Amino acid sequence: MALQWSSETFVAELKDLQANAMAVDCLGTQAVLAGKKTLAYVNLENSEEGDDGSNVTRVARQSKWDVNCIQFNPHASHAPLYVTACNTRLDVCQLSDRNGNPVCTLKAHSRIICDVDWSPFDVNVVASCSVDSFTYLWDIREPKKPVHSFQTVAGAYQVKWNKVTNNLFATTHEGDIRIWDPRKGNSPQQYIAAHLSKIHGLDWSPDNQNQFVTASQDGYVKLWDYTNPKKCFGSTDSGAPVRRARYTPFGAGLVTVVVPQLKRGENSLYLWKITKQSDMSPVHTFVGHKDVVLEFQWRKQPEGSRDQQLVTWSRDQSLRIWRIDPNLQRLCGHDGGDSGEVDLTGTSYNSSESTLKDLRDLSLSEPTMEDEMEISVATVTMAQQARSLQQEFSQLNTDIPNITLDQMDPVSRTCRVTGVGGGQKVIMECLFPEAYPNNVSPSFQILTTTLDAAMQSRLLKVLSDTSVKFVRRNNNCLEMCLRQLMSILDSMDDRRSPESEASFTRAPPPIVQATAFNILPMYSLGNFQDSSVPFPRTSGARFSSNGFLVAFGVPAEMKKVSGGAEITPKALSELAAFTQTSWNNTRTNPFSLVFSRSPPTPSSDMSISDFFEKKGRQRSSRHSHSHSLSRRPKRQERYGEKLSSKKQLSVGKVKIYDVEVLVGVNKYLAQHYKMDLDDVEGTCRHNQSAAAAIGRKDLVQTWSIAATMASRKVLPSPVPQMEMPWAMTPCGRPLLKYILDQHGAQFDVQTLAMLCCLFWTPDPPRPRARSQAQVPRSGSKVSLEFTPPNYNPYHTVSSVTGLLKGLRTRHMRMSTFEGGGSQSAYEAEMYDEGHDSAVAKSKRSMSWSDTFDTADDGRSSNGLESQEELEKLQHEDNCKMLDPAVWEQYDRYKLAYAKILYNWRLFNQRALVLKFISTPVPQHKGVEFAVCCHKCGKEMRGPQCSWCKYPALQCSICHIGVRGLANFCLVCGHGGHTVHILEWFKSHSVCPTGCGCNCLKENLFGG
Amino acid sequence: MVSVISSVDTGHEDMIHDAQLDYYGTKLATCSSDRSIKLFDVSSGQQVPIADLRGHEGPVWQLCWAHPMYGSVLASCGYDRKVIIWKETNGSWDKLYEYSNHDSSVNSVCFAPHELGLVLACGSSDGSISVISTTGDGNWDAKKINNAHTIGCNAVSWAPSTSPNALFDQGARQQPAKRFVSGGCDNLVKIWREEDGQWVEDQKLEGHSDWVRDVAWAPSIGLPRNVIATCSQDCRVIIWTNDGTSNHWTSRVLNKFSDVVWHVSWSVTGNILAVSGGDNKVTLWKESVEGQWTCISDVNKGQGQITDQRSSSG
Repeated sequence: MALQWSSETFVAELKDLQANAMAVDCLGTQAVLAGKKTLAYVNLENSEEGDDGSNVTRVARQSKWDVNCIQFNPHASHAPLYVTACNTRLDVCQLSDRNGNPVCTLKAHSRIICDVDWSPFDVNVVASCSVDSFTYLWDIREPKKPVHSFQTVAGAYQVKWNKVTNNLFATTHEGDIRIWDPRKGNSPQQYIAAHLSKIHGLDWSPDNQNQFVTASQDGYVKLWDYTNPKKCFGSTDSGAPVRRARYTPFGAGLVTVVVPQLKRGENSLYLWKITKQSDMSPVHTFVGHKDVVLEFQWRKQPEGSRDQQLVTWSRDQSLRIWRIDPNLQRLCGHDGGDSGEVDLTGTSYNSSESTLKDLRDLSLSEPTMEDEMEISVATVTMAQQARSLQQEFSQLNTDIPNITLDQMDPVSRTCRVTGVGGGQKVIMECLFPEAYPNNVSPSFQILTTTLDAAMQSRLLKVLSDTSVKFVRRNNNCLEMCLRQLMSILDSMDDRRSPESEASFTRAPPPIVQATAFNILPMYSLGNFQDSSVPFPRTSGARFSSNGFLVAFGVPAEMKKVSGGAEITPKALSELAAFTQTSWNNTRTNPFSLVFSRSPPTPSSDMSISDFFEKKGRQRSSRHSHSHSLSRRPKRQERYGEKLSSKKQLSVGKVKIYDVEVLVGVNKYLAQHYKMDLDDVEGTCRHNQSAAAAIGRKDLVQTWSIAATMASRKVLPSPVPQMEMPWAMTPCGRPLLKYILDQHGAQFDVQTLAMLCCLFWTPDPPRPRARSQAQVPRSGSKVSLEFTPPNYNPYHTVSSVTGLLKGLRTRHMRMSTFEGGGSQSAYEAEMYDEGHDSAVAKSKRSMSWSDTFDTADDGRSSNGLESQEELEKLQHEDNCKMLDPAVWEQYDRYKLAYAKILYNWRLFNQRALVLKFISTPVPQHKGVEFAVCCHKCGKEMRGPQCSWCKYPALQCSICHIGVRGLANFCLVCGHGGHTVHILEWFKSHSVCPTGCGCNCLKENLFGG
Repeated sequence: MVSVISSVDTGHEDMIHDAQLDYYGTKLATCSSDRSIKLFDVSSGQQVPIADLRGHEGPVWQLCWAHPMYGSVLASCGYDRKVIIWKETNGSWDKLYEYSNHDSSVNSVCFAPHELGLVLACGSSDGSISVISTTGDGNWDAKKINNAHTIGCNAVSWAPSTSPNALFDQGARQQPAKRFVSGGCDNLVKIWREEDGQWVEDQKLEGHSDWVRDVAWAPSIGLPRNVIATCSQDCRVIIWTNDGTSNHWTSRVLNKFSDVVWHVSWSVTGNILAVSGGDNKVTLWKESVEGQWTCISDVNKGQGQITDQRSSSG
């Protein structure tokens, strides 16, 4: 075995911890060690400083069970979350302030839990497996029960999510492996008999969705492709049981932990390289731990770092961090997109400054890496290159002052930059050739600038010199070039007058294309939890309230991917199945998540659009593919097509149809209908001609009949004994009812309401209705001294609650009312005010009732004792063309029509219709107020006394009659100009008149 | 003579899930999987973009305009479990309120009749329905009906405020009925009624054999009956009617379609029902005087044509 160098930082020796499990968070800042009695949080950030104990926090825990496993959430957005498995229980905790706060507990397993794994695609999903033979998927937002369960005959020992594709995970059961898809229910996708004895570790490949590696008690490490369950495609025998085998995050490597038998032998971690032939060749041994390595994890490195770090925890109770420098990475086939120099001579490992200080514990051995290194350079693939550019873009420090990255496109390998400074502005484009950064420098082109020619050429020279300097060593150069650009622009600052700067504006914010470091949403489409979310509607039609129909849909040239035969799926989760193909394609493109395990990828690409494709697209694209020579253009084409054109195509236009003709109500008629009760017959004739003008023959007929019925000749006589009223004849009320029914069946509310209005007979308000109006509706305990017992409310304040709340800040509870102001047609729209209306508004009297209720006062007070009167009333009822028994029904027609008129903004017509409403006006829930004139003492119904013509309310402060806004105390009745009252109660709490009333206190609702 | 009066190119980057005209038919709101809501002024027959509302973190499923007495107020709901109420003040649109107390995608929002105040019902895939209301002073109150539909609630629709619920109770002016209907993944249609400030299940209508995708309570023109249209994954549209006095609902299958039916919408007088679904087509249905439902036209959005089968409505 090739023993080479390793550099290890000794972090902490935690003798008494007895921890079995260790976890490192996805940001690489914290490690948690879990022992039986204690949990230890180790801050890895300043671990270099050594072992003074300051970076270790211990927290005691109370349990008789060991923590079997612990894992941090792999999503950066939820980095402080971790889950521990202890006996049969999972605890999710949030690490904050070096202490773990429990978030939830997941309990369902009946025996000890062996393994947990957070989903790399869904921040809220955890898988757990147990010897009780169940594997559960949990959603930590619904901790009560698992969202999925999978049962096997044998207990499960490991559960691991696929790192590349969602909805796939593997469990191990002794020597067997099962591959599951949570969408497919409780039956495994694949069954693999992998090892002869127990499998200790399983790890999915970070960049191939089909591959994984297993480590077993039988000493073998095997590489698998689950699509071929019969045979592993690579294996190695390490001679001793292997506890773990995991892929390296760089290149093609493995790290294994071997359990020395009988506690003798090396307690080592081994680094292996997987060759193209799927053979494993040892690369490195990490020597140092004195006992079995219990757990190891890769620590995420700060951006720009070329080293990789491995955090290990061993039974010797020491936590160590190992640096894997770029040279070592390269041995594992890592091309090192942004790594250090390739030193083929193999002599100067320490040449780079940054590695020098890290290699403190350098232990050299036979340097045999020359051959391997050549291989690794040669195996640099196109895909990896694209990836490295993508990586460079994503790791670029975009915070360079005065430099704005407008666009970074790793697919077309271009980048557009705007620089502003020194009163100058430069927009330039950088083109990265395929071979970049391997001794090929990018080309720079100035698109627009305010620089003069000499400066331009100087700038280009500097940039190209800088880039050549870096790419000569196969290093990335973009950031350095940008910094050069900035310094050149800055250097011109002094020479320029400041006023010229003002003419430049900053460029718009950068559009970074789908880099993995974008903050992606937590909510990704198509994960397994979407099984209850209905499949999105992609087409629809909605009537609007005024005769329009809005329709939207998928354009005609698009068709469903699934073909037209089957019906559209039910749930959103099924979308994933349809898009599986396209999703696989995108996976291999440069945007895969190889470098980042931060929040999910499929979401950004997957959308409901994937359910549709352009008709005929398949054939044509296949055609073009067969002609494409290389793989890259094909992928590019597909990707581009999917992202831009396809999504664009899938958005159809929203069409608005005018369907008034179908609806049965007509705006033209609404505008031209007349409503004149003095001449009903003439009105009917007028309406008849209006209907004729738009060719509504059916309505012409209706109106002509109506005109006949309303003729003066058939007007009923006021004396009951004279004759049977017209309304009682078959051509009276029954005919009208028949006409109404006909229009009702056609939903012609317009004609219905018009007829109901015109044949409406002024009806004396019924005593019943009247008495109701007198019941004070106040629900509050405000005393209403000012309201006389049989007062007919004229002035009402419906908005007391709202207004008073506004005054709460002043601790004032005064009712407000407004003097003056005339009624307008718009006020009629206040008719259907909300009872607990959210909008504060003042309510005036009902203008439509004014005309008709004045004449009846005498009768209602006279009483209805005499038989004669009753008879007369009966006769009056009989004279009505509309059956008074169902007047409420007719009112509803009018209300419904009024609503439609409102839609059309025909407020005047609406107010006219509402005049005919005979239903008692709904009572306000607010308080109603009456006022006694301060001059003559008479009660009145308005802001002005009808007797003495004085303003009714007198301001308690200035002693002038109030014409504008007024507030008054509900208890003592004193008040005045709102301005005065507010001013007064700023400093006082008792009534300004000196009546002794503690107005502020008394008017507080609910005490 | 059904005519296209406007064709709006929304500029959405992904599928449109809902499009709604406001109360006066002047503003069009559309929402999409691209997480945005776009508003257009369509009063002139031209499309004039007004606003592009961004605030949802996932696809936006449905929109609903409030009554103009509350100002220009729009509610939206989406996959990100949020309900956002937007309001225009002095020409600029802002979030008025955000409600995020659902545990799964919120699939439907519907404003109550304005007589009830600014009240919004939301149905979510977590199975619950929320009724959100405001007192106008910035305080919002939410009542949640938990487990309204097991697995999930897909649609809500309010009863019209003028709907008759007890005709024999004439005379006394009744409180406007506070009722709404909901449909869900339990294949059920449920009617909810507020009783002493609590929402209780009033009726349970069984008829569909798969998820109910949309429900629509027909507007009332004063006739003594209640009508509800529901559509479902089982490709059927069912019309439920009730005589306004009893608690008995009769059902009639309008039609069985060739694909899933996603949406039902009533015209303003309740005489025409627009049905749309997975086949990307819109059909209009009208009840004849005899009470038979007939398809009066097809809106094929591919061609953008409505083929009117009857020259004029009676």
